[in-house]
Amino acid sequence: MSSTESNSMSAAGRSWRDIRQEVTPLAMSRKGRSRRRLEWFKVTALFVLLGAGGWGIYTLVHSWETDRAALATAVHSEPVRDIALITDGVLTKKWAAGILALPKTASLMSLDLEALRNKLLENGQVRVAVLTRHFPDTLVLSLQERTPVARLQASDGNGPARQLFVSREGVVYDGINYGSSLVASLPWLAGIRLVKAPAHGFEPITGMEDVSALLSMAQLEAPQLYRTWQIVSLDRLEARDEILVKARDIAEIVFTRKRDFRKQIAELDYVVDRVHVLPDPALLSVNLAIEGQVPVRMRNTPEELAKLPDSTFSPQSPQQRKSKRDL
Amino acid sequence: MTSNSSRIIGAVEIGTGKVAVLVGEISRGRSLNIIGVGVAPSRGVMKGEVVDYKAACEATHHALEMAEKRAGARIEEVWLAQTGGHLDGFYNEASVNVKSADNTVTALDIASVCDLAKEKELPAGRSRIHEIRRPFRLDGRAVPDAEHLSGQRLEVGYWIVHGHEGKVSDNIHVVGGYHLEVRELVLSSLANGSLLTTAEERQHGVLVINLGKGISDYVLYRDGHVLVTGTLPVGGDHLTNDLSIGLRVTTAQAEMLKLRHGRATVQTRDKSEKVWLNGDASFGDKQFSKNAIEAVAAARTQELLAVIKQKLGSAFAPEHCGAGVILTGGTSKLPGIDEVTANVFGVNARRGESPSWVKDELKDPMFSTVLGIFQFGLRGAHEHALPPRRKTGFLSNLTKIFASS
Repeated sequence: MSSTESNSMSAAGRSWRDIRQEVTPLAMSRKGRSRRRLEWFKVTALFVLLGAGGWGIYTLVHSWETDRAALATAVHSEPVRDIALITDGVLTKKWAAGILALPKTASLMSLDLEALRNKLLENGQVRVAVLTRHFPDTLVLSLQERTPVARLQASDGNGPARQLFVSREGVVYDGINYGSSLVASLPWLAGIRLVKAPAHGFEPITGMEDVSALLSMAQLEAPQLYRTWQIVSLDRLEARDEILVKARDIAEIVFTRKRDFRKQIAELDYVVDRVHVLPDPALLSVNLAIEGQVPVRMRNTPEELAKLPDSTFSPQSPQQRKSKRDL
Repeated sequence: MTSNSSRIIGAVEIGTGKVAVLVGEISRGRSLNIIGVGVAPSRGVMKGEVVDYKAACEATHHALEMAEKRAGARIEEVWLAQTGGHLDGFYNEASVNVKSADNTVTALDIASVCDLAKEKELPAGRSRIHEIRRPFRLDGRAVPDAEHLSGQRLEVGYWIVHGHEGKVSDNIHVVGGYHLEVRELVLSSLANGSLLTTAEERQHGVLVINLGKGISDYVLYRDGHVLVTGTLPVGGDHLTNDLSIGLRVTTAQAEMLKLRHGRATVQTRDKSEKVWLNGDASFGDKQFSKNAIEAVAAARTQELLAVIKQKLGSAFAPEHCGAGVILTGGTSKLPGIDEVTANVFGVNARRGESPSWVKDELKDPMFSTVLGIFQFGLRGAHEHALPPRRKTGFLSNLTKIFASS
C-alpha cells in the first residue's frame, strides 16, 4: 500500500488539519454540551485539587517551620503517660525521665523527638538513641550505651575533682549507675590533658583505641595481672608509642603499641611468674617495648637473685611456659 | 478500565443511509480490541454530504452515545470516514537531481522531491485529505525506499485527494458537536480497500468498489500501491428512485421491493410472474411484475458500474487487475451483482469478506468502512509515513477548552 500523508505541512494548499474543529456550544447537541461541561468540571476540579494540595503543603511546611505545636494539635494524641526504656546498659527509666523532663501535659505528637534525642546524646554514656512514638501515650527510648575501659579524676577548676569514665573510643563522660565492683576494677588514666568540648563535656582522648585494646587483651588473657593494674599512663604514647602501666606490685610496665599486645602480656606474665619464686619479689620495672628482650629492674639484693635457678630468665617455648603455669 | 498505554478511539462513518460507530481500544498503537458498536439511521446527509447539520448531529450523536454505552468507555478521539461527490484527486510528480558527489540519495533529496511533488496549488476552497505517495523511481527503476541508493535522478509521484473545505468542515463539526476531536480523516474507499484486500491482491492489482446508499467510491491498486481513488454520487438510492418512478410507488415501497426482489441481473423471464408489494393481503396491497423490478435494477446497476469503469479510464486495464473487483457496501448485497461486475470490467468479481479477526456480528458490509478505518490507521502506523500528530496532553486540551469557549 502506498504511503499516505495528510498533514498540515503540505507545500501548497490547506490540509483538512487546518480546519478549526471547535464548535460553539450552541452548535452542540445536548450530549455534546454535557460532555463539555463535564470536561470543564474535571478541569476545575483538578485546579481546585491542585490548589488545595498546594495550600495544604504550604500550610504544613509553614507550621513545621514556625509552630510545630500547632501542627501537633491537628493530630489527636494523648498526653505522654509512660516512657519505655530499652537499653543494653545500666541507665534507668528514672534517669531518662529526668533528662527529658517532659511537661506533664505534653501530648505524644507535640514532642520534638530530634531535640529530645539530642538531650539524651549530650550524656556521653549514650552512644545511640532512637525515640519512637507508641500511640496513644507512650514514648519508647531505645538506647545503646558506652562501656567504660578506664576512669580518671578531673576538675574544671571551679569545683572539686570528680571521677569520670572513658570509653574504648576515648569518650569521657560521667558514668551513671555503674556498680562499685566494676568501677573499682577500672584502672586510672594518667598522662592526658582533657580539652573542653565547645558544647559540653570533653573532647575524646586520642589514642584510646590502642589503650583499650591493651586493657581488653589483658583482661581476657591475663586477668590476674589486669586486676593489679592501677594506673595507665598515656604520657609517652604520642612521642614514643609507649603505654605505661603502674601495677600494685610493679612500679612501671612499659608496653608499646608497635608490637602485638598479646605477646607483650605473655612476656609480662612469664616475668612475673619467674620472679615470684623469690622470697620477697619486688619488680621495679618491666620494659616490654623492646623486641627480643625484656629488661627488668628489681629491688632484690644480688644474693637473693643468685638463689634463682639458672633457667629462671632463659628463653622457653610458650608451650613450656603454659604447661608450667597450668601445673 | 483502560490502561495508560491504550487509547479509546471511535471510528465513525456518517453515511447517507446510516451512521456507524465502532469503539476500539488500541493498545501501544498496535493491537485493536473492538469494545463497542453504535448504528443509527442517518438523517440530514445526502450523497455523503451534510445538508442538515442538526439532523446529522442528532443521528451521529445517537450512534456515538450508543457505542460509548456499549463500550462502557468514553471515546477520546475520532477517526472519521470521508466520502462525498465533492472529493476529487489528481496525480502530480516531480523529479530532482541527486545532490551528493557520489550520487548517493540522501534524506534531503527525498524530502526535496516529495515537497516538489506535493507542491501543486489547489483551487480556492479546497482542502487536502490524503497525499498518497507512489514508489520512488531512481533513474527510471521503481524503488520502495531510495535512501542510500545510488543514482542520478530521483522521481516520485503523489495521488492527491482533496475535497470542498466547507463540506469537509461540516462532517468534522458534526463530530465536534459531540465535543470530540477528529484526529484522523480517512477516505472511505481507502478504508474499505485496506480491510478487504490482502497485500498479495494489491500487488496483483485489485479494484475495490464500495456501493453505498447515496455514494459509490472506489480505489484501484496496482503493484501494491494506490493508483486511483474516486467517488461517484450514485448509489443504491438511484435504483430505489428508478423503481419508484417506473413502478409508480413511494420511495419507501420501492426500497422494500428492491430489497425483496431486486437483482442485478434479469433472472425472471416470465413477464407475467407477479410479486406482492406487502404480501400480507392488506388493503391497498398491489402486485408488480418481477421481471420489471429486475430489469430496472439490473439496468441501473450495470449503468452505475459502467460509469465507474468510464471514470477509471485508462487507469483500469483487466490485465493489470489480476485480483479482480471486490464489492462492498449495502448495494453489493444485490443478488447477481458480482456477475454483472465481472461482465462490465472483464475480470473476476466477488463480494468483499472481512478478515478472520473480525467478529461475526461485524462482518456485515455496513461495518466494512469503520473496520477499514481502524485497519488503515493501524497499518498506517507501521507502513506509512505518519502524519505529524496534533498536540495532545493536558495543556493542549486545556488550551482547546479555553479556545472553544
